[in-house]
Amino acid sequence: LWRKFVRLACNFMVIFIPWEMRIKKIESHFGSGVASYFIFLRWLFGINIVLTIMTGAFIVIPELIAGQPFGSTASKTIPKEHVVSAQDLDTVWSLGGYLQYSVLFYGYYGRERRIGRAGYRLPLAYFLVGMAVFAYSFIILLKKMAKNSHNSLASVPNENYTFCWRVFCAWDYLIGNPEAAESKTAAIVNSIREAILEEQEKKKSKNLVVTICLRVVANILVLLSLAGSIYLIYFVVDRSQKLEQSKKELTLWEKNEVSVVVSLVTMLAPSAFDLIAALEMYHPRTTLRFQLARVLVLYLGNLYSLIIALLDKVNSMSTEEAATKNNTSHWIDSTIFATRTAPEEEKWSTPGPGTGLPRNSTWAPEETSIPAYTLSEANKTTVYTQRPQDQCWETYVGQEMLKLSIIDMLFTVASILLIDFFRGLFVRYLSDYWCWDLESKFPEYGEFKIAENVLHLVYNQGMIWMGAFFSPCLPAFNVLKLIGLMYLRSWAVLTCNVPHQQVFRASRSNNFYLAMLLFMLFLCMLPTIFAIVRYKPSLNCGPFSGQEKMYDIVSETIEKDFPAWFGSMVGYVSSPVVILPAVLLLFMLIYYLQSIARSLKLSNQQLRMQIQNARSEDKKKVAQMVEARIQTQEESSMRLPKDSDLGSRLSSAHSVVPQSNGTVVNLDSSSSKRGRGETAAQRTPPSPQSGLGSPSAPLPGTSKCRPEQHINRCLRGRSASAGDRHQDRSCSPGMRTKHAEVVRSEPLFRRDFQQIDPPLRGPGLSAVVPRGPRSCAPRYYIINERDSRQKIHPTFWPERHFRMDALGDMVMCPRTTRQGVSWAPQQGHSPQLSEEEEDAPRRELVQWSLHPQSLRGLQGAPHFYAGDRSESQTLVPEHQGRMHFKSWDDSFEAPLDRPAYGHKKPRSRNFQSAQHPPKLRGKPKVEPSLTESDSMSAASSSDQQNGSNDQYPQVTPSQAKFRRSAGQLGRRKPISRQELVADLNDLICSNV
Amino acid sequence: MGNKQTVFAHEQLEAYQDCTFFTRKEIMRLFYRYQDLAPQLVPLDYTSCPDVKVPYELIGSMPELKDNPFRQRIAQVFSEDGDGHMTLDNFLDMFSVMSEMAPRDLKAYYAFKIYDFNNDGYICAWDLEQTVTKLTRGELSTEEVSLVCEKVLDEADGDHDGRLSLEDFQNMILRAPDFLSTFHIRI
Repeated sequence: LWRKFVRLACNFMVIFIPWEMRIKKIESHFGSGVASYFIFLRWLFGINIVLTIMTGAFIVIPELIAGQPFGSTASKTIPKEHVVSAQDLDTVWSLGGYLQYSVLFYGYYGRERRIGRAGYRLPLAYFLVGMAVFAYSFIILLKKMAKNSHNSLASVPNENYTFCWRVFCAWDYLIGNPEAAESKTAAIVNSIREAILEEQEKKKSKNLVVTICLRVVANILVLLSLAGSIYLIYFVVDRSQKLEQSKKELTLWEKNEVSVVVSLVTMLAPSAFDLIAALEMYHPRTTLRFQLARVLVLYLGNLYSLIIALLDKVNSMSTEEAATKNNTSHWIDSTIFATRTAPEEEKWSTPGPGTGLPRNSTWAPEETSIPAYTLSEANKTTVYTQRPQDQCWETYVGQEMLKLSIIDMLFTVASILLIDFFRGLFVRYLSDYWCWDLESKFPEYGEFKIAENVLHLVYNQGMIWMGAFFSPCLPAFNVLKLIGLMYLRSWAVLTCNVPHQQVFRASRSNNFYLAMLLFMLFLCMLPTIFAIVRYKPSLNCGPFSGQEKMYDIVSETIEKDFPAWFGSMVGYVSSPVVILPAVLLLFMLIYYLQSIARSLKLSNQQLRMQIQNARSEDKKKVAQMVEARIQTQEESSMRLPKDSDLGSRLSSAHSVVPQSNGTVVNLDSSSSKRGRGETAAQRTPPSPQSGLGSPSAPLPGTSKCRPEQHINRCLRGRSASAGDRHQDRSCSPGMRTKHAEVVRSEPLFRRDFQQIDPPLRGPGLSAVVPRGPRSCAPRYYIINERDSRQKIHPTFWPERHFRMDALGDMVMCPRTTRQGVSWAPQQGHSPQLSEEEEDAPRRELVQWSLHPQSLRGLQGAPHFYAGDRSESQTLVPEHQGRMHFKSWDDSFEAPLDRPAYGHKKPRSRNFQSAQHPPKLRGKPKVEPSLTESDSMSAASSSDQQNGSNDQYPQVTPSQAKFRRSAGQLGRRKPISRQELVADLNDLICSNV
Repeated sequence: MGNKQTVFAHEQLEAYQDCTFFTRKEIMRLFYRYQDLAPQLVPLDYTSCPDVKVPYELIGSMPELKDNPFRQRIAQVFSEDGDGHMTLDNFLDMFSVMSEMAPRDLKAYYAFKIYDFNNDGYICAWDLEQTVTKLTRGELSTEEVSLVCEKVLDEADGDHDGRLSLEDFQNMILRAPDFLSTFHIRI
């Protein structure tokens, strides 16, 4: 019930998230990239709402309620000669007339320190809110970025199974609504396309030189166009200023050309960049980044050139003002007004502008207002009458910003309508009557360009931030604009845009946009702050009129409205004594956090690596299991041909047999060519055996073969358990606890081995005996695997282990019995060779049992199969998992850094080296035993022959390997190599 | 309440509870859902274990399954003889596996069976093609589909035999972050 309630609440909440459904719909149709634009838009909308509330609640509404009403003061009254034209569309359009003297702009706000009955300190509020807007934006941006980066850390992209997950985990089985199903299908198609695209991008081969050249060219082009656009804007602003000075009446175009040009540039240049970016052949995501960065630079350049031009104008205005001041003072001197003294002027002026205006203590504004007033009264020239209002440069900047914003909006709407909608209509309805296919060739349907649109939002927001101080209503206007944009855009996207042809993933938590926004915010803040700090507020308007600097309001408030101790405290705090250490502390803190973050990053990376390793090990393990299973299958299938071979050998000449066996080998166990070649090469040593033994081969061979295989099968389980026991033993320090999950953790074990082995190999012969069993372990492990594979069930593991544990005690028994078997007829030699027939596990067992017991008489044969055993195991992996194993030779040559399966080889080599010393001692015995056996009974020798023949399929290719490994070994221990060769020769000789 | 007692014998209900991940209440609810599918077919008294099957057409029209591209496979996998007609046991079994309580191993096993269209114990290229086309409702071109299949095999096929065995599949799917949350039918 609770869950249901929560779900209901969630559903309910979704309703209140603005445009959630709309965005979801767009996302399902156009992919996450387009949706990220809208999500970004929505987020900006949220920010702007907060900004609007801040400015509205603390500045606009108090001013409206408690401030002086319109027309009460000079700064709030439209000059008389302008009243006539105040309603003209022309004036309204350029935000003059009534709009200029409204709450929209800085100039309207009064400069009384307290307004209303509550004594609201409007100027202070104005200043603080202006700063708070920036502060809030910064904080919210950083917060969002931190959250995003956290998210992106949490969901580390895992490239291992991209496609699998997209296919098998894509469908949400909870979906029970046709529309949702449709959306989901669209989303799946999109995501699969994205993945395909990524894959193709990975594959794309590149011609480096050409691309580099192209990129250089592209960058030059971009720089040129950037410089051009900046120059253009500067030129236009300059020209408009000159025009303003030279002409009184400006045409509509002349008034708006700045904004229009800026908007045009911002609209056209991105498309040019887009074209240029096509030259560069980057990955789409990189292209997007580059595009965004360039467009951002462009926008910034535009904004900056604009603002610099404006500030230039402001500068010239203030110089003009200074000039007029000089003029007027000179004029005052020369006219009748000049005869009046300052107090008189004051007296005269107070009733003039001041209806309810409290006495101003500062003298400067009074002075300028008087001449201005007198001038307006005198109405000498229009230029002079305009001055008091025009000098309000803050209003002027705000006006420009608002104008820019409005024109930008108009252009956006126009471009959406023109470029998207009408183009869509045109393409849609005229394509039937056109001479080429409009839908697929030239005009096409518009694509939604994420980069430009996002950048446009950023740019827009930048303008807002820049102008917010001078025009408190700009955020409110922006809210409206964003709402309109949201609906228009989403409508346009859904109706007349086609999904981007190259879909790619732009994750929702994209910090890139936010980083750009932050950058923009910072850069937009700079000019504002600069203006606030650098320029003197205009004298006749705005809340700061009369102060030397705008921030004086704060110190003034502190001085006057707070107790004295607070002021002195602030004085101390702001003194260098406190500030410097604080800054130092901050630096230290930043450094500290930075280093912590770096170390965390490092550890994170390592952990990820570890996960990756574990995963790949797992993957290999799965592969191995399957291979082991396949191997068993092959072995069983090999056995059948073997038997048939034996049957055929009854009648056929013995010389054919090895060949046929060889072909079986080639077909079954390894198809690698080298294996075959070496089969041919290496068949020589045993062939004399077969040549000798074959005459008496047939009958006992066939008769013996089967039962032994049976035994073999029966024994496999035991030997497996024995193997496990070895493994257990070898790993016993600390590993025993893991036994229940040995198989799971097997790869780790192996790696441990690998690390342990090399150092152990160094000592060489001294550590022979302990190394033997340990090196056995992994091989046993494979047998286990095979064992388990025969019963194909994954959940079999624990049971098997259980069984092995149970059998662990019994291990001694089979071993001893085995030894008994192998010991007893040893002089007969045939059982020993019959052992050869048995497949791996038992041989291992024998070897193992040989070790401590040092059955020297047996050394010749088992030693042989030491190589065989390991090789036959490793061989199949080789040809099965050739991918892993491409460098067989390399893995031999450089055994220490060999990949997945290579670790078996050192062990085999190891094993052999371990076998060597006993063999040295055993060599004398081998000879007699073999000769003895040969001479003793034909049956036994036939057995031998049989056995060896039977072994060929497995042995021959592996012998080659064995030889190789022996050679390798010999490189390290030349003596042992000689011994080995001698041994082989001995074997041959004895057989002959 | 009296109704419940008559539908199942006590032991039956116990057995169902043991075999599924449901509580008694949920079992009853599922039974009524089942009964609702074919009121004329399914008796309200199950104490005698009647051998009733609801045809696939009715199962597939359940709102939970209606829009699922794999509904037929689901029904086939969980039905006894692979034709999609389900007995009550199959029905309970299906929703039990699909419930939130089912362990992920079990889910992975059944997911494998569902995606194994030709029931050969492996997900081969053909199965993958089926999956992808069903998933995308044929919106991808054939080249894209074959590319996707190729990539999937490339990624998950541990032994390079050109098809996914159950181990491969489990190995892959158990790592998927959202497998558990998506392979799940709420009823």
